[in-house]
Amino acid sequence: MNEELDSQLSAMFDDELAPAECELLARRLSRDEQLKARWDRYAVIGALIRSEGGVRLNAPLAGRVSAVILAEPTFGASPAPHGAPRTRVRWWQPLAGAAVAAGVAVLCIVWLRAQTPLTGAALSAQLISPAAAVSSAPLARATPAGAAGPRDGIAAGISGSGDSYVVPPAPAVRAAVVPSVELANYVVAHSVFSSPVARRNLLSAFMSSESGTIAAEEPQDDAQSNLQ
Amino acid sequence: MPRATSSSERFVALALAWAVAGAALAEEPAQKASPEQAPAQWLERMNQALTTRNYDGTFSHWHGGHVEMLRIIHRVQDGTVSERLASLDGSGREFIRTGASLTCYLPDKRTVLVEQRPPQESLVGFPAVNDQTASSYDIREVARTRLNRRDTHVIAVSPKDEYRYGYRLWIDDSTAMPLKTQLCDAHGHVIEQIVFASLTLSSHIPDSAFKPEVSTEGFKWLRNESAPPAPPAEALAWNAMGLPPGFRMSARSAQTLPGSTDPVDHLVFTDGLASVSVFVEPQRRSSAAQPAVPESARVGSSSAFSTVIDGHKITAVGEVPPDTVRLIATQVKAQDPASIGSRRP
Repeated sequence: MNEELDSQLSAMFDDELAPAECELLARRLSRDEQLKARWDRYAVIGALIRSEGGVRLNAPLAGRVSAVILAEPTFGASPAPHGAPRTRVRWWQPLAGAAVAAGVAVLCIVWLRAQTPLTGAALSAQLISPAAAVSSAPLARATPAGAAGPRDGIAAGISGSGDSYVVPPAPAVRAAVVPSVELANYVVAHSVFSSPVARRNLLSAFMSSESGTIAAEEPQDDAQSNLQ
Repeated sequence: MPRATSSSERFVALALAWAVAGAALAEEPAQKASPEQAPAQWLERMNQALTTRNYDGTFSHWHGGHVEMLRIIHRVQDGTVSERLASLDGSGREFIRTGASLTCYLPDKRTVLVEQRPPQESLVGFPAVNDQTASSYDIREVARTRLNRRDTHVIAVSPKDEYRYGYRLWIDDSTAMPLKTQLCDAHGHVIEQIVFASLTLSSHIPDSAFKPEVSTEGFKWLRNESAPPAPPAEALAWNAMGLPPGFRMSARSAQTLPGSTDPVDHLVFTDGLASVSVFVEPQRRSSAAQPAVPESARVGSSSAFSTVIDGHKITAVGEVPPDTVRLIATQVKAQDPASIGSRRP
Protein backbone atom coordinates (compact mmCIF):
# COMPACT_ATOMS: atom_id res chain seq x y z
CA MET A 1 0.00 0.00 0.00
CA ASN A 2 1.40 3.35 -0.83
CA GLU A 3 2.08 5.97 1.75
CA GLU A 4 -0.55 8.32 0.53
CA LEU A 5 -3.29 5.78 1.05
CA ASP A 6 -1.94 4.93 4.44
CA SER A 7 -1.90 8.53 5.41
CA GLN A 8 -5.44 9.01 4.14
CA LEU A 9 -6.60 6.05 6.14
CA SER A 10 -4.99 7.45 9.21
CA ALA A 11 -6.50 10.85 8.59
CA MET A 12 -9.90 9.31 8.20
CA PHE A 13 -9.55 7.62 11.55
CA ASP A 14 -8.60 10.94 13.03
CA ASP A 15 -11.63 12.52 11.44
CA GLU A 16 -9.38 14.87 9.60
CA LEU A 17 -9.95 13.74 6.06
CA ALA A 18 -11.91 16.04 3.79
CA PRO A 19 -15.40 14.72 3.11
CA ALA A 20 -14.81 14.30 -0.61
CA GLU A 21 -11.69 12.28 0.03
CA CYS A 22 -13.55 10.28 2.63
CA GLU A 23 -16.07 9.26 0.06
CA LEU A 24 -13.41 8.23 -2.43
CA LEU A 25 -11.61 6.26 0.21
CA ALA A 26 -14.83 4.61 1.29
CA ARG A 27 -15.44 3.44 -2.25
CA ARG A 28 -11.94 2.13 -2.48
CA LEU A 29 -12.33 0.35 0.84
CA SER A 30 -15.30 -1.52 -0.47
CA ARG A 31 -13.30 -3.09 -3.29
CA ASP A 32 -9.72 -3.14 -2.05
CA GLU A 33 -9.19 -6.11 0.22
CA GLN A 34 -5.72 -5.05 1.23
CA LEU A 35 -6.90 -1.66 2.24
CA LYS A 36 -9.83 -3.19 4.06
CA ALA A 37 -7.47 -5.41 6.00
CA ARG A 38 -5.46 -2.36 6.91
CA TRP A 39 -8.59 -0.61 8.07
CA ASP A 40 -9.51 -3.56 10.22
CA ARG A 41 -6.12 -3.49 11.83
CA TYR A 42 -6.51 0.16 12.66
CA ALA A 43 -9.83 -0.60 14.25
CA VAL A 44 -8.43 -3.36 16.40
CA ILE A 45 -5.43 -1.31 17.40
CA GLY A 46 -7.65 1.60 18.23
CA ALA A 47 -9.85 -0.54 20.39
CA LEU A 48 -6.90 -2.06 22.16
CA ILE A 49 -5.35 1.28 22.88
CA ARG A 50 -8.55 2.62 24.24
CA SER A 51 -9.13 -0.55 26.18
CA GLU A 52 -12.75 -0.23 25.35
CA GLY A 53 -15.20 -3.01 25.89
CA GLY A 54 -13.16 -4.15 28.80
CA VAL A 55 -10.10 -4.93 26.74
CA ARG A 56 -6.97 -4.31 28.78
CA LEU A 57 -3.47 -3.98 27.46
CA ASN A 58 -0.27 -3.79 29.36
CA ALA A 59 1.27 -0.37 29.10
CA PRO A 60 4.45 -1.20 27.18
CA LEU A 61 2.50 -2.96 24.46
CA ALA A 62 0.01 -0.16 24.32
CA GLY A 63 2.90 2.21 24.00
CA ARG A 64 4.40 0.25 21.15
CA VAL A 65 1.11 0.08 19.35
CA SER A 66 0.68 3.77 19.86
CA ALA A 67 4.05 4.39 18.39
CA VAL A 68 3.15 2.35 15.36
CA ILE A 69 0.23 4.43 14.45
CA LEU A 70 1.82 7.60 15.73
CA ALA A 71 -1.29 9.13 17.04
CA GLU A 72 -4.18 7.80 18.95
CA PRO A 73 -7.09 7.43 16.62
CA THR A 74 -10.35 9.01 17.41
CA PHE A 75 -13.41 7.37 16.12
CA GLY A 76 -14.81 9.51 13.41
CA ALA A 77 -18.44 10.27 13.07
CA SER A 78 -19.08 11.43 16.58
CA PRO A 79 -19.42 15.07 17.49
CA ALA A 80 -16.58 16.64 19.36
CA PRO A 81 -16.94 16.17 23.08
CA HIS A 82 -17.79 19.77 23.47
CA GLY A 83 -18.52 22.72 21.34
CA ALA A 84 -18.69 22.38 17.62
CA PRO A 85 -19.14 18.86 16.39
CA ARG A 86 -16.46 18.43 13.81
CA THR A 87 -18.50 16.12 11.68
CA ARG A 88 -22.19 16.25 11.85
CA VAL A 89 -23.95 13.01 11.16
CA ARG A 90 -25.76 13.60 7.96
CA TRP A 91 -27.48 10.38 7.18
CA TRP A 92 -30.78 12.17 7.22
CA GLN A 93 -29.46 15.38 5.90
CA PRO A 94 -31.37 15.17 2.62
CA LEU A 95 -33.99 16.91 4.65
CA ALA A 96 -31.62 19.78 4.29
CA GLY A 97 -31.47 19.24 0.59
CA ALA A 98 -28.16 17.46 0.48
CA ALA A 99 -28.94 13.97 -0.65
CA VAL A 100 -25.68 13.72 -2.50
CA ALA A 101 -23.60 15.67 -0.08
CA ALA A 102 -24.97 13.52 2.68
CA GLY A 103 -22.98 10.64 1.41
CA VAL A 104 -19.81 12.58 1.54
CA ALA A 105 -19.67 13.15 5.23
CA VAL A 106 -20.20 9.67 6.35
CA LEU A 107 -17.58 7.23 6.08
CA CYS A 108 -17.94 6.64 9.71
CA ILE A 109 -16.84 4.09 12.14
CA VAL A 110 -19.51 2.56 14.19
CA TRP A 111 -19.21 0.08 16.91
CA LEU A 112 -21.05 -2.42 18.92
CA ARG A 113 -20.22 -2.71 22.52
CA ALA A 114 -19.51 -6.03 24.08
CA GLN A 115 -21.68 -7.32 26.82
CA THR A 116 -18.62 -8.94 28.31
CA PRO A 117 -14.98 -8.03 27.99
CA LEU A 118 -13.27 -9.40 24.95
CA THR A 119 -9.77 -10.45 24.24
CA GLY A 120 -7.98 -8.91 21.34
CA ALA A 121 -8.31 -12.13 19.42
CA ALA A 122 -12.01 -12.32 19.99
CA LEU A 123 -12.29 -8.72 19.00
CA SER A 124 -10.43 -9.35 15.84
CA ALA A 125 -12.56 -12.35 15.06
CA GLN A 126 -15.65 -10.28 15.37
CA LEU A 127 -14.69 -7.61 12.97
CA ILE A 128 -17.38 -7.66 10.41
CA SER A 129 -17.50 -6.57 6.85
CA PRO A 130 -19.29 -3.49 5.63
CA ALA A 131 -21.90 -5.67 4.02
CA ALA A 132 -22.52 -7.51 7.24
CA ALA A 133 -22.85 -4.23 9.05
CA VAL A 134 -26.11 -3.65 7.31
CA SER A 135 -27.88 -6.29 9.25
CA SER A 136 -26.29 -5.56 12.56
CA ALA A 137 -27.00 -2.72 14.92
CA PRO A 138 -24.33 -0.10 14.58
CA LEU A 139 -24.11 2.55 17.19
CA ALA A 140 -22.62 5.82 16.21
CA ARG A 141 -20.24 6.84 18.89
CA ALA A 142 -21.22 10.10 20.36
CA THR A 143 -19.57 10.58 23.66
CA PRO A 144 -15.97 11.22 24.37
CA ALA A 145 -13.80 8.20 24.37
CA GLY A 146 -13.06 6.88 27.75
CA ALA A 147 -15.93 8.66 29.42
CA ALA A 148 -17.84 6.35 31.65
CA GLY A 149 -21.11 6.99 29.98
CA PRO A 150 -24.52 5.52 29.86
CA ARG A 151 -23.41 3.25 27.06
CA ASP A 152 -22.40 0.70 29.61
CA GLY A 153 -25.89 0.42 30.88
CA ILE A 154 -27.32 0.57 27.44
CA ALA A 155 -25.10 -2.11 26.09
CA ALA A 156 -25.72 -4.42 28.96
CA GLY A 157 -29.38 -4.41 28.20
CA ILE A 158 -29.23 -4.55 24.49
CA SER A 159 -26.17 -5.65 22.73
CA GLY A 160 -25.31 -9.23 22.50
CA SER A 161 -22.69 -8.59 19.89
CA GLY A 162 -19.02 -8.08 20.31
CA ASP A 163 -16.97 -4.98 19.83
CA SER A 164 -16.98 -4.47 16.14
CA TYR A 165 -15.88 -1.70 13.93
CA VAL A 166 -17.57 -1.47 10.65
CA VAL A 167 -17.63 0.83 7.71
CA PRO A 168 -21.15 1.49 6.60
CA PRO A 169 -21.89 0.79 2.98
CA ALA A 170 -22.24 3.41 0.31
CA PRO A 171 -23.72 6.42 2.04
CA ALA A 172 -25.79 7.36 -0.99
CA VAL A 173 -27.94 4.34 -0.26
CA ARG A 174 -28.38 5.42 3.33
CA ALA A 175 -29.45 8.84 2.25
CA ALA A 176 -32.52 7.29 0.72
CA VAL A 177 -33.41 5.27 3.76
CA VAL A 178 -35.10 7.96 5.71
CA PRO A 179 -36.49 10.62 3.44
CA SER A 180 -36.01 14.15 4.58
CA VAL A 181 -39.66 14.92 4.83
CA GLU A 182 -40.11 12.00 7.15
CA LEU A 183 -37.63 13.38 9.63
CA ALA A 184 -39.32 16.77 9.36
CA ASN A 185 -42.58 15.07 10.25
CA TYR A 186 -41.07 13.45 13.28
CA VAL A 187 -39.48 16.68 14.44
CA VAL A 188 -42.69 18.63 14.09
CA ALA A 189 -44.80 15.95 15.78
CA HIS A 190 -42.31 15.64 18.61
CA SER A 191 -42.05 19.38 19.15
CA VAL A 192 -45.56 19.47 20.53
CA PHE A 193 -44.41 17.51 23.55
CA SER A 194 -41.10 19.18 24.21
CA SER A 195 -40.50 21.56 27.04
CA PRO A 196 -40.59 25.15 25.76
CA VAL A 197 -36.87 25.74 25.78
CA ALA A 198 -35.99 22.38 24.30
CA ARG A 199 -38.64 22.88 21.68
CA ARG A 200 -37.22 26.22 20.64
CA ASN A 201 -33.78 24.70 20.33
CA LEU A 202 -35.08 21.82 18.27
CA LEU A 203 -37.15 23.92 15.90
CA SER A 204 -34.46 26.58 15.59
CA ALA A 205 -31.92 23.97 14.63
CA PHE A 206 -34.37 22.53 12.17
CA MET A 207 -35.10 25.93 10.64
CA SER A 208 -31.38 26.61 10.39
CA SER A 209 -30.33 23.38 8.80
CA GLU A 210 -28.06 23.90 5.88
CA SER A 211 -28.78 27.52 5.48
CA GLY A 212 -26.31 30.28 4.98
CA THR A 213 -24.57 30.54 8.28
CA ILE A 214 -21.47 32.10 9.62
CA ALA A 215 -18.81 30.20 11.38
CA ALA A 216 -18.16 30.93 14.97
CA GLU A 217 -16.35 29.38 17.81
CA GLU A 218 -18.13 27.98 20.73
CA PRO A 219 -19.47 30.36 23.29
CA GLN A 220 -17.77 29.50 26.52
CA ASP A 221 -16.15 32.38 28.26
CA ASP A 222 -19.13 34.40 29.25
CA ALA A 223 -20.87 31.35 30.60
CA GLN A 224 -17.88 30.46 32.66
CA SER A 225 -17.53 33.94 33.97
CA ASN A 226 -21.13 34.00 34.97
CA LEU A 227 -20.87 30.73 36.73
CA GLN A 228 -17.76 31.33 38.69
CA MET B 1 -13.47 36.15 24.15
CA PRO B 2 -14.37 33.59 21.51
CA ARG B 3 -15.75 34.81 18.28
CA ALA B 4 -19.15 33.24 18.74
CA THR B 5 -19.77 35.22 21.83
CA SER B 6 -18.67 38.36 20.22
CA SER B 7 -20.91 37.56 17.26
CA SER B 8 -23.82 37.09 19.53
CA GLU B 9 -23.08 40.25 21.37
CA ARG B 10 -22.68 42.05 18.10
CA PHE B 11 -26.16 40.93 17.13
CA VAL B 12 -27.38 42.31 20.37
CA ALA B 13 -25.55 45.53 19.87
CA LEU B 14 -26.93 45.94 16.38
CA ALA B 15 -30.46 45.25 17.35
CA LEU B 16 -31.99 48.64 17.64
CA ALA B 17 -35.15 47.03 18.79
CA TRP B 18 -33.61 46.08 22.04
CA ALA B 19 -34.09 49.44 23.61
CA VAL B 20 -37.70 49.35 22.55
CA ALA B 21 -37.97 45.83 23.78
CA GLY B 22 -36.57 46.80 27.11
CA ALA B 23 -39.23 49.41 27.44
CA ALA B 24 -41.89 46.96 26.37
CA LEU B 25 -40.70 44.43 28.87
CA ALA B 26 -40.81 47.06 31.52
CA GLU B 27 -44.31 48.03 30.59
CA GLU B 28 -45.63 44.57 31.20
CA PRO B 29 -44.16 43.35 34.38
CA ALA B 30 -45.16 39.90 35.42
CA GLN B 31 -45.83 38.98 38.94
CA LYS B 32 -42.75 40.10 40.74
CA ALA B 33 -40.75 37.19 41.91
CA SER B 34 -39.84 36.87 45.50
CA PRO B 35 -36.13 37.09 45.99
CA GLU B 36 -36.02 33.65 47.55
CA GLN B 37 -37.69 31.91 44.68
CA ALA B 38 -36.35 28.40 44.28
CA PRO B 39 -34.41 27.68 41.11
CA ALA B 40 -36.94 25.06 40.01
CA GLN B 41 -39.66 27.67 40.38
CA TRP B 42 -37.78 29.84 37.95
CA LEU B 43 -37.98 27.04 35.44
CA GLU B 44 -41.71 26.78 35.97
CA ARG B 45 -42.15 30.53 35.64
CA MET B 46 -40.06 30.53 32.50
CA ASN B 47 -42.11 27.72 30.94
CA GLN B 48 -45.24 29.58 31.90
CA ALA B 49 -43.99 32.79 30.33
CA LEU B 50 -42.84 31.11 27.15
CA THR B 51 -46.15 29.36 26.63
CA THR B 52 -48.69 31.91 27.80
CA ARG B 53 -47.31 35.33 26.94
CA ASN B 54 -47.40 37.25 23.69
CA TYR B 55 -44.00 38.11 22.36
CA ASP B 56 -42.04 38.88 19.25
CA GLY B 57 -38.31 38.41 19.33
CA THR B 58 -35.22 38.00 17.24
CA PHE B 59 -32.46 35.74 18.42
CA SER B 60 -29.23 34.19 17.34
CA HIS B 61 -29.01 30.46 17.36
CA TRP B 62 -25.54 28.95 17.67
CA HIS B 63 -24.77 25.33 17.11
CA GLY B 64 -21.89 23.43 15.67
CA GLY B 65 -19.90 26.51 14.78
CA HIS B 66 -22.75 28.22 12.97
CA VAL B 67 -24.79 31.20 13.96
CA GLU B 68 -28.10 32.02 12.42
CA MET B 69 -30.69 34.65 13.17
CA LEU B 70 -34.28 33.63 13.67
CA ARG B 71 -37.48 35.37 14.61
CA ILE B 72 -40.13 33.99 16.90
CA ILE B 73 -43.61 35.36 17.36
CA HIS B 74 -45.87 33.82 19.96
CA ARG B 75 -49.43 34.65 20.87
CA VAL B 76 -52.15 33.15 23.00
CA GLN B 77 -55.52 34.57 22.12
CA ASP B 78 -58.89 33.18 23.08
CA GLY B 79 -57.24 29.97 24.15
CA THR B 80 -55.52 29.43 20.83
CA VAL B 81 -51.77 29.33 20.59
CA SER B 82 -50.21 30.84 17.49
CA GLU B 83 -46.55 30.71 16.89
CA ARG B 84 -44.24 31.52 14.03
CA LEU B 85 -40.59 30.69 13.87
CA ALA B 86 -38.67 31.78 10.81
CA SER B 87 -35.10 31.58 9.69
CA LEU B 88 -33.98 35.09 8.77
CA ASP B 89 -30.66 34.24 7.23
CA GLY B 90 -30.52 31.26 5.01
CA SER B 91 -32.93 28.47 4.48
CA GLY B 92 -36.03 30.63 4.60
CA ARG B 93 -37.75 27.83 6.44
CA GLU B 94 -40.72 28.73 8.54
CA PHE B 95 -42.71 26.92 11.15
CA ILE B 96 -46.17 28.20 11.90
CA ARG B 97 -48.49 26.81 14.48
CA THR B 98 -52.07 27.88 14.76
CA GLY B 99 -53.96 25.99 17.40
CA ALA B 100 -53.69 22.32 16.54
CA SER B 101 -52.38 22.95 13.05
CA LEU B 102 -48.65 22.84 12.50
CA THR B 103 -47.28 24.00 9.17
CA CYS B 104 -43.72 23.71 8.12
CA TYR B 105 -42.54 25.59 5.03
CA LEU B 106 -39.46 24.08 3.47
CA PRO B 107 -38.49 26.27 0.49
CA ASP B 108 -35.35 24.23 -0.03
CA LYS B 109 -37.52 21.16 -0.58
CA ARG B 110 -40.32 23.14 -2.24
CA THR B 111 -42.55 21.37 0.23
CA VAL B 112 -45.07 22.37 2.83
CA LEU B 113 -45.97 19.98 5.62
CA VAL B 114 -49.27 20.44 7.35
CA GLU B 115 -49.80 18.39 10.44
CA GLN B 116 -53.13 18.47 12.15
CA ARG B 117 -52.83 17.49 15.78
CA PRO B 118 -55.75 16.36 17.90
CA PRO B 119 -57.53 19.49 19.19
CA GLN B 120 -57.08 18.51 22.80
CA GLU B 121 -53.38 18.90 22.32
CA SER B 122 -53.61 22.51 21.29
CA LEU B 123 -52.56 23.77 24.66
CA VAL B 124 -50.58 20.94 26.01
CA GLY B 125 -47.90 21.15 27.37
CA PHE B 126 -44.80 20.17 28.20
CA PRO B 127 -43.45 18.11 30.98
CA ALA B 128 -43.81 19.63 34.41
CA VAL B 129 -40.77 20.29 36.50
CA ASN B 130 -41.26 18.14 39.54
CA ASP B 131 -39.49 15.99 42.10
CA GLN B 132 -38.70 13.46 39.44
CA THR B 133 -36.91 16.15 37.51
CA ALA B 134 -34.90 16.94 40.58
CA SER B 135 -33.74 13.36 40.74
CA SER B 136 -32.22 13.63 37.26
CA TYR B 137 -30.87 17.16 37.42
CA ASP B 138 -29.21 19.48 39.82
CA ILE B 139 -30.98 22.83 39.52
CA ARG B 140 -29.22 25.85 40.99
CA GLU B 141 -29.17 29.58 40.66
CA VAL B 142 -25.55 30.29 40.00
CA ALA B 143 -25.56 34.02 39.44
CA ARG B 144 -27.57 37.16 39.09
CA THR B 145 -26.31 39.26 36.31
CA ARG B 146 -27.22 42.00 33.88
CA LEU B 147 -27.86 40.96 30.34
CA ASN B 148 -28.80 43.57 27.78
CA ARG B 149 -29.59 45.97 30.57
CA ARG B 150 -31.97 43.52 32.17
CA ASP B 151 -31.60 41.84 35.53
CA THR B 152 -31.42 38.13 35.04
CA HIS B 153 -31.13 35.03 37.17
CA VAL B 154 -28.69 32.51 35.80
CA ILE B 155 -30.11 29.07 36.46
CA ALA B 156 -27.90 26.06 35.87
CA VAL B 157 -29.63 22.77 35.22
CA SER B 158 -27.00 20.07 35.40
CA PRO B 159 -27.75 16.50 34.42
CA LYS B 160 -26.72 13.82 36.86
CA ASP B 161 -25.81 11.38 34.11
CA GLU B 162 -25.09 11.32 30.40
CA TYR B 163 -28.57 10.37 29.28
CA ARG B 164 -29.60 14.02 29.07
CA TYR B 165 -28.35 17.51 28.44
CA GLY B 166 -28.15 20.40 30.84
CA TYR B 167 -29.03 24.06 30.51
CA ARG B 168 -27.86 27.45 31.62
CA LEU B 169 -30.67 29.92 31.46
CA TRP B 170 -30.55 33.68 31.82
CA ILE B 171 -34.08 34.35 33.01
CA ASP B 172 -35.40 37.89 33.08
CA ASP B 173 -36.20 38.90 36.63
CA SER B 174 -39.46 40.69 35.93
CA THR B 175 -40.95 38.71 33.04
CA ALA B 176 -39.36 35.27 33.52
CA MET B 177 -38.56 35.20 29.82
CA PRO B 178 -35.26 33.47 29.05
CA LEU B 179 -33.07 36.05 27.34
CA LYS B 180 -30.28 33.61 26.76
CA THR B 181 -30.11 29.83 26.94
CA GLN B 182 -27.23 27.46 26.63
CA LEU B 183 -27.57 23.75 26.15
CA CYS B 184 -24.70 21.85 27.72
CA ASP B 185 -23.50 18.31 27.55
CA ALA B 186 -22.93 16.19 30.63
CA HIS B 187 -19.51 17.77 31.07
CA GLY B 188 -20.91 21.28 31.09
CA HIS B 189 -19.66 22.20 27.65
CA VAL B 190 -21.92 24.47 25.66
CA ILE B 191 -23.24 22.76 22.55
CA GLU B 192 -26.09 25.04 21.55
CA GLN B 193 -26.96 28.61 22.42
CA ILE B 194 -29.78 31.04 21.88
CA VAL B 195 -29.39 34.73 22.66
CA PHE B 196 -32.17 37.20 22.14
CA ALA B 197 -31.20 40.33 20.29
CA SER B 198 -34.60 41.88 20.66
CA LEU B 199 -37.69 40.85 22.50
CA THR B 200 -40.96 42.65 22.72
CA LEU B 201 -43.84 41.57 24.89
CA SER B 202 -47.05 42.90 23.44
CA SER B 203 -50.62 42.80 24.52
CA HIS B 204 -51.75 42.46 20.93
CA ILE B 205 -50.17 40.73 17.96
CA PRO B 206 -52.18 40.84 14.72
CA ASP B 207 -53.08 37.75 12.71
CA SER B 208 -50.95 39.07 9.88
CA ALA B 209 -47.87 38.33 11.96
CA PHE B 210 -48.53 34.64 11.49
CA LYS B 211 -48.56 34.64 7.71
CA PRO B 212 -45.55 33.07 6.05
CA GLU B 213 -43.26 35.27 4.04
CA VAL B 214 -42.27 32.47 1.74
CA SER B 215 -44.14 32.11 -1.52
CA THR B 216 -45.49 28.60 -1.85
CA GLU B 217 -46.19 28.71 -5.56
CA GLY B 218 -45.38 25.35 -7.08
CA PHE B 219 -44.76 23.78 -3.70
CA LYS B 220 -45.89 20.29 -2.85
CA TRP B 221 -48.31 20.23 0.05
CA LEU B 222 -48.30 17.20 2.29
CA ARG B 223 -51.05 16.89 4.85
CA ASN B 224 -52.14 14.30 7.32
CA GLU B 225 -55.58 13.09 8.18
CA SER B 226 -57.01 15.03 11.07
CA ALA B 227 -58.48 11.87 12.53
CA PRO B 228 -56.34 8.80 12.24
CA PRO B 229 -58.11 5.53 11.53
CA ALA B 230 -59.05 3.64 14.65
CA PRO B 231 -56.58 0.84 15.20
CA PRO B 232 -58.00 -2.64 14.82
CA ALA B 233 -58.82 -4.34 18.06
CA GLU B 234 -56.01 -6.80 17.69
CA ALA B 235 -53.51 -4.04 17.08
CA LEU B 236 -50.30 -4.40 18.94
CA ALA B 237 -49.61 -2.04 21.77
CA TRP B 238 -46.10 -0.76 21.98
CA ASN B 239 -44.11 0.22 24.98
CA ALA B 240 -40.54 0.58 26.08
CA MET B 241 -39.32 -2.38 28.04
CA GLY B 242 -36.61 -0.30 29.63
CA LEU B 243 -35.92 3.40 29.95
CA PRO B 244 -33.02 5.53 31.08
CA PRO B 245 -33.28 6.50 34.75
CA GLY B 246 -35.85 9.20 35.43
CA PHE B 247 -37.76 8.79 32.16
CA ARG B 248 -41.41 7.81 32.14
CA MET B 249 -44.10 7.64 29.51
CA SER B 250 -46.11 10.85 29.48
CA ALA B 251 -48.31 10.48 26.42
CA ARG B 252 -49.47 8.03 23.82
CA SER B 253 -51.44 8.75 20.70
CA ALA B 254 -52.31 7.31 17.34
CA GLN B 255 -51.96 9.55 14.35
CA THR B 256 -50.94 9.81 10.76
CA LEU B 257 -48.11 11.94 9.50
CA PRO B 258 -48.28 14.28 6.51
CA GLY B 259 -47.83 12.52 3.21
CA SER B 260 -48.76 9.13 4.56
CA THR B 261 -51.90 7.20 5.34
CA ASP B 262 -50.17 4.71 7.56
CA PRO B 263 -51.20 4.89 11.20
CA VAL B 264 -48.39 5.79 13.52
CA ASP B 265 -48.22 5.12 17.22
CA HIS B 266 -46.63 8.06 18.97
CA LEU B 267 -45.24 7.46 22.44
CA VAL B 268 -43.70 10.25 24.49
CA PHE B 269 -41.21 9.75 27.29
CA THR B 270 -39.93 12.50 29.52
CA ASP B 271 -37.80 13.13 32.57
CA GLY B 272 -39.52 16.45 33.26
CA LEU B 273 -37.21 18.49 31.08
CA ALA B 274 -36.10 16.41 28.15
CA SER B 275 -38.55 14.44 26.04
CA VAL B 276 -38.23 11.69 23.51
CA SER B 277 -40.91 10.76 21.03
CA VAL B 278 -41.08 7.26 19.67
CA PHE B 279 -42.94 6.68 16.43
CA VAL B 280 -43.98 3.15 15.56
CA GLU B 281 -45.26 2.40 12.10
CA PRO B 282 -45.58 -0.70 9.97
CA GLN B 283 -42.57 -1.13 7.77
CA ARG B 284 -43.55 -0.33 4.24
CA ARG B 285 -43.65 -3.09 1.71
CA SER B 286 -40.99 -1.52 -0.46
CA SER B 287 -38.18 -3.01 1.51
CA ALA B 288 -35.67 -1.73 -1.00
CA ALA B 289 -36.42 1.78 0.12
CA GLN B 290 -36.42 0.85 3.77
CA PRO B 291 -33.94 -1.81 4.59
CA ALA B 292 -33.63 -2.83 8.19
CA VAL B 293 -30.71 -0.58 8.89
CA PRO B 294 -30.55 1.42 12.06
CA GLU B 295 -30.03 5.07 11.28
CA SER B 296 -28.95 8.04 13.31
CA ALA B 297 -29.46 11.71 12.63
CA ARG B 298 -28.95 14.97 14.42
CA VAL B 299 -31.04 18.10 14.32
CA GLY B 300 -28.92 20.61 16.15
CA SER B 301 -28.15 18.94 19.42
CA SER B 302 -31.28 16.82 19.22
CA SER B 303 -31.00 13.25 18.12
CA ALA B 304 -32.95 10.77 16.08
CA PHE B 305 -32.54 7.05 15.72
CA SER B 306 -34.48 4.65 13.58
CA THR B 307 -34.51 0.89 13.53
CA VAL B 308 -36.80 -1.96 12.63
CA ILE B 309 -38.33 -4.23 15.25
CA ASP B 310 -40.82 -6.98 14.50
CA GLY B 311 -41.62 -5.62 11.07
CA HIS B 312 -42.22 -2.13 12.40
CA LYS B 313 -40.10 0.91 11.94
CA ILE B 314 -39.28 2.45 15.30
CA THR B 315 -38.00 6.01 15.30
CA ALA B 316 -37.01 7.91 18.41
CA VAL B 317 -36.54 11.69 18.31
CA GLY B 318 -35.64 13.91 21.20
CA GLU B 319 -33.53 16.71 22.60
CA VAL B 320 -31.21 14.22 24.25
CA PRO B 321 -27.84 12.69 23.42
CA PRO B 322 -27.73 10.11 20.62
CA ASP B 323 -27.29 7.18 22.98
CA THR B 324 -30.52 8.01 24.76
CA VAL B 325 -32.73 7.90 21.66
CA ARG B 326 -30.96 4.76 20.57
CA LEU B 327 -31.56 3.09 23.90
CA ILE B 328 -35.21 4.01 23.98
CA ALA B 329 -35.85 3.01 20.35
CA THR B 330 -34.26 -0.37 20.76
CA GLN B 331 -36.21 -1.05 23.93
CA VAL B 332 -39.57 -0.60 22.28
CA LYS B 333 -41.51 -3.83 21.95
CA ALA B 334 -45.01 -4.95 21.12
CA GLN B 335 -47.09 -5.71 24.18
CA ASP B 336 -50.37 -7.31 24.94
CA PRO B 337 -52.86 -4.43 24.51
CA ALA B 338 -54.71 -5.43 27.66
CA SER B 339 -51.68 -4.74 29.78
CA ILE B 340 -51.51 -1.08 28.86
CA GLY B 341 -53.81 1.50 30.32
CA SER B 342 -55.16 4.42 28.38
CA ARG B 343 -52.72 7.24 28.72
CA ARG B 344 -53.61 9.34 25.79
CA PRO B 345 -52.59 12.96 26.00
